[in-house]
Amino acid sequence: MTRYLTRRVLQMIPLIFGITVVLFAVIQAAPGGPEAALLESDRFIDPAVIEAYRARLGVDQPVPVQYLKWVGGALVGDLGMSFSTTRPVTEMIIERLPATLELMGASFLLATILAFGLGILSAMKQYTWFDHLGTGLSFVGIAMPVFWFALLLQLVFGVWLGWLPVAGTETVGATGLGDHLAHLVLPSLVLSFRYVAGWSRYLRSSLLGVLTADYIRTARAKGLSERRVVGVHALRNAMVPVVSVMALNLAGLFSGAVITETVFAWPGIGRMFVQAMFARDYPLLMGILLLGSVMVVIFNLVADVLYAALDPRIRYE
Amino acid sequence: MSNPATRTLIAILTTVVGVACAGERRDPLAPIDGRQILRVAYEREVDVLNAFTSQMLVDIHFSMVEGLITTDEHNSYVPVLAKEIPTDANGLLERMPDGTVRMTWPLQENVRWHDGEPFTSADVCFTWKFVTSENSQTYNRDWYLRISGCETPDEHTVVFTWSGEYAYYAGLFEAILPEHVLGGMTTEEIVNYTPYNRGAELVGTGPFRFAEWKSGEYLRVVRNEDYWRGAEYPVIDEIVWAFIPDANTRMNAMRAGQYHYARLEPTQVREVGDLEGYQLQLISSNTFLHLDFSLNTERSRLLFSDRDVRRALFQAIDREAIATQLMQGTVELANTPINPSGPYHNPNVSAARYDPTESARLLTAAGWLVGPDGIRTKNGQRFTFTLLNRAGTTDRIAAAQVIQAQLKSVGVEVAFETLESASWTQKWRSLNWEAIVSAWFLPADPSFTGLFQCGGPNNMTGFCDPELDEVMAASDRALNFEARKPLLDLAQQALADDERMLPIYYNVVPELVSTRIVGYRGSGTNFGSFWNLWQWSLK
Repeated sequence: MTRYLTRRVLQMIPLIFGITVVLFAVIQAAPGGPEAALLESDRFIDPAVIEAYRARLGVDQPVPVQYLKWVGGALVGDLGMSFSTTRPVTEMIIERLPATLELMGASFLLATILAFGLGILSAMKQYTWFDHLGTGLSFVGIAMPVFWFALLLQLVFGVWLGWLPVAGTETVGATGLGDHLAHLVLPSLVLSFRYVAGWSRYLRSSLLGVLTADYIRTARAKGLSERRVVGVHALRNAMVPVVSVMALNLAGLFSGAVITETVFAWPGIGRMFVQAMFARDYPLLMGILLLGSVMVVIFNLVADVLYAALDPRIRYE
Repeated sequence: MSNPATRTLIAILTTVVGVACAGERRDPLAPIDGRQILRVAYEREVDVLNAFTSQMLVDIHFSMVEGLITTDEHNSYVPVLAKEIPTDANGLLERMPDGTVRMTWPLQENVRWHDGEPFTSADVCFTWKFVTSENSQTYNRDWYLRISGCETPDEHTVVFTWSGEYAYYAGLFEAILPEHVLGGMTTEEIVNYTPYNRGAELVGTGPFRFAEWKSGEYLRVVRNEDYWRGAEYPVIDEIVWAFIPDANTRMNAMRAGQYHYARLEPTQVREVGDLEGYQLQLISSNTFLHLDFSLNTERSRLLFSDRDVRRALFQAIDREAIATQLMQGTVELANTPINPSGPYHNPNVSAARYDPTESARLLTAAGWLVGPDGIRTKNGQRFTFTLLNRAGTTDRIAAAQVIQAQLKSVGVEVAFETLESASWTQKWRSLNWEAIVSAWFLPADPSFTGLFQCGGPNNMTGFCDPELDEVMAASDRALNFEARKPLLDLAQQALADDERMLPIYYNVVPELVSTRIVGYRGSGTNFGSFWNLWQWSLK
C-alpha cells in the first residue's frame, strides 16, 4: 500500500504540471485582457494609460515567458500578485477558504444525512409512494438550475416569510451564532439539494442490487433484524460506488460553489473566481484553478484508498 | 418516521432552523446600541481604496476620502476641500502674458487627516505629482498633464499653472492623497502599497474613517469624530457597504427590508416601484448611448457620406420605442451628448425623429432603390453594413437588434459582429468598422471635444468638421459658464444638424432608497448619490 501511494503521489507531479500548462493556455486564449476592467467603465481613457497598465502587469510579454515566470514562482510557493487588488494570491485564497469550507462542509453534512436517509428508505420501500416521491424529488434536484432554486428560497424564506436573511454571512453589528446560522441555512440548503439528489440515487440503486444478494438472504435467514441486515451487511457494500462520487465531489470543498456563493453573496473561493474571471485577473485565476485541480487529483486518490477500506476484495500492490 | 435516528435528525434540524430564525427576528435596519448604521447593498466589491488607481467608479472611496471638489445632484461641481472654485468672477483665475493660466485654490482650514495630521496645500501638490507621474494608472492622467506647475504660497492655498485655458480644470482633484503617508515612495510603490489600498493606513479627510474590510463581504466605515465641517457632522455613526453582486439577490434583500439603499437594474423597476418603506429614484446617469457611423473604410464612405442618407437611416429608427418599450421607460431619451440634468444641456436640440415614410423617400431620392430581395441597391452595391457590438452589454445589443429590424423595414440590411471588450476596443481604434452602438460615461464637465473633433483621441468615426472643431475648442477655453454655454449650445446644434451620430438614450440608474434616509440627493456622476453623505441621517 505504501509503495502504491508513493507511486501515485509521484505520478501527480507531471499531471499537475501538465494541468497548469493547459490552464494557463486556456486562460490566455480567452479574448481580452486585464485592461477590460478599465474599458468597461465607458470612461474616456488615455490609450497610453492602458498600455502602461498592461506593461506594469507584464501581460505585454509573450505567453510562454509569462508562464515560465508564473511557474517559477509557483514552485517556490509564490502564486504571484493579483492584478486587481495588488495583493498576494496565496493570501487572498487563504482569506476566502474558511467561508468556502464552512459552506461546503455544512452542505456536505446536510447532504450526507439526507441522501443516506432518502437512499436507504427508497431502496427498502421500493416502488412505494415514498420511493416515487424520492425519485421525483431527486430528478427535480438534479434538473433544477441552482440560481433559480436559490432565488426561490430567498423569495419564500427571506421576502415572504421574513424568517431568514438572503445574503452575506452576518448582520454586521448584530453578529451572533444564531445570526450566522441563519445566514448559512439557505445557501447550504441550495448546495446540498443537488448532492442529495445525486447521492441518494446512487445509494438506492446500489443498495437494491446488494439487497438481492445471497449473503443478505442468509443474514435474513439467520433471523437478523432488517435494520441490522441493511445497516451492517448491505450498506457497507452498497457504499462503494457512492463513496467514489462523494470523494470527487469533496474536491469541490476547496474550489467553492460559483453560483451559490455569488447569489448568496457568500465570501468564498467560488465568488472570488467569478470576480477574477471578469477582471481577467490571471494570477488569481491560476491560483484558484490550481487549488481546485490539486484537490481533484488528491481526492481521486482518497477515493481509491477508501475503496480498499470498504471492500476487502480490493488490494493495491 | 418513528425510529430514534429520524427523530433525532428532525430535532437537530428544527433546533438549527429555530436558533437561526430566532436570531433574525429583529428589524435589520434598526439602530444597534443606539448607533445609526446605514446599510448599503452595493453591487460589487471595490478593488483598491486608492481613488486614483481604482478601476471602479469610486463612490465608496468618497465616504472616506475627499477632493477639492465633488458633483451635486445638478451635475455641477461644488467645492469640498477647496473653499471655492476659481472663476473669473471671484478673481482667482489669472491669465498670464505667455498664455498660461494661474489658478488659485483657497483650501479649507482646520482640516485634519484621520490620523490627526493637518491637511495642507503640500498634499494637493503631492497628489498632482503622483497623478502626472508615469504608471500612476489614473484614467484621466492626460487632463492633469496640462498643469505645468503647482505652488504652495501658504498651507491653505495652492496655485496651479496651466499651460493654457482648459475649462475642465474644475473637475480634477476628486481626491487628495496624504503626503505624510505616501510621500517618499515611488509611483510603483504607491500603486502597490497594500496598507493604503486595503485600508489599514488609509487616511482621508472625509466624514467617515475606514474601520474594516471583510474580503468578499463588506466594507465598514465609522464616523469621523474630528470632521472639519463641525461636530454635528456626519450624523450617521457607521456605514456598511455589503457587496452583493447579483442584482436579483440585491432586489430580494431590499424586499426583505435588510438594506437602506441599493442600485438595481432597469428591468427590476416594475417589481419594486411600490415597495413599502422605499422610494424608487430614477437617476439619470451620464452614460450616453448612441449609434455611430464611420467614414473610415471605403465601404462605409460609400454608404454614409451623404448626410441625407444618414438622416434617412436615423429616421427609420424609433428611439422612443427603444426607450419606452425595450427599456420599459427606465431610460431617458437623448438628443445631445450632454445630460439634461446638467446646466450645459441644450433643450432646443432635437435628433432625427422617427419617420419611416420620409426615411424611405430620402433613400430613394439618394438613388438607393429597393431590390428584388427587399434590400436597397445603388450602382450594383447592396445597402448592407456590419454593426459592431460589445459582448455582455445586453441593453446595447438589444437596442442594436431593434435598429437592425427597423432598418430592414426600409430596405437596409445590418449584420452583427460581437466582440469582447478589449477586442472590441481594439477594433474600434483600428478604424476598421462601419457602425457601432456604444456608450460614453461622461464626467460632469460637459466637454465632448475629444469625441467629435477631427482626429480627436476618441473620435474613431472619421467625421471631421473644422467649423465645429473651432466652436468646441473655444468652448474648452471658456473658463466661465456665461461664455461657455452659448458655445456648447452651438456645438450640440451643429452635431445634430450634421447627422453624424444618433443619440439614443441616457442610462437611468434605478436607486431604491429607504424612506428612513434623510438628506439623499441622487446624482448620476461617478461620485454617485453618496456625494453628500455627511448630511445624511436616518429616521
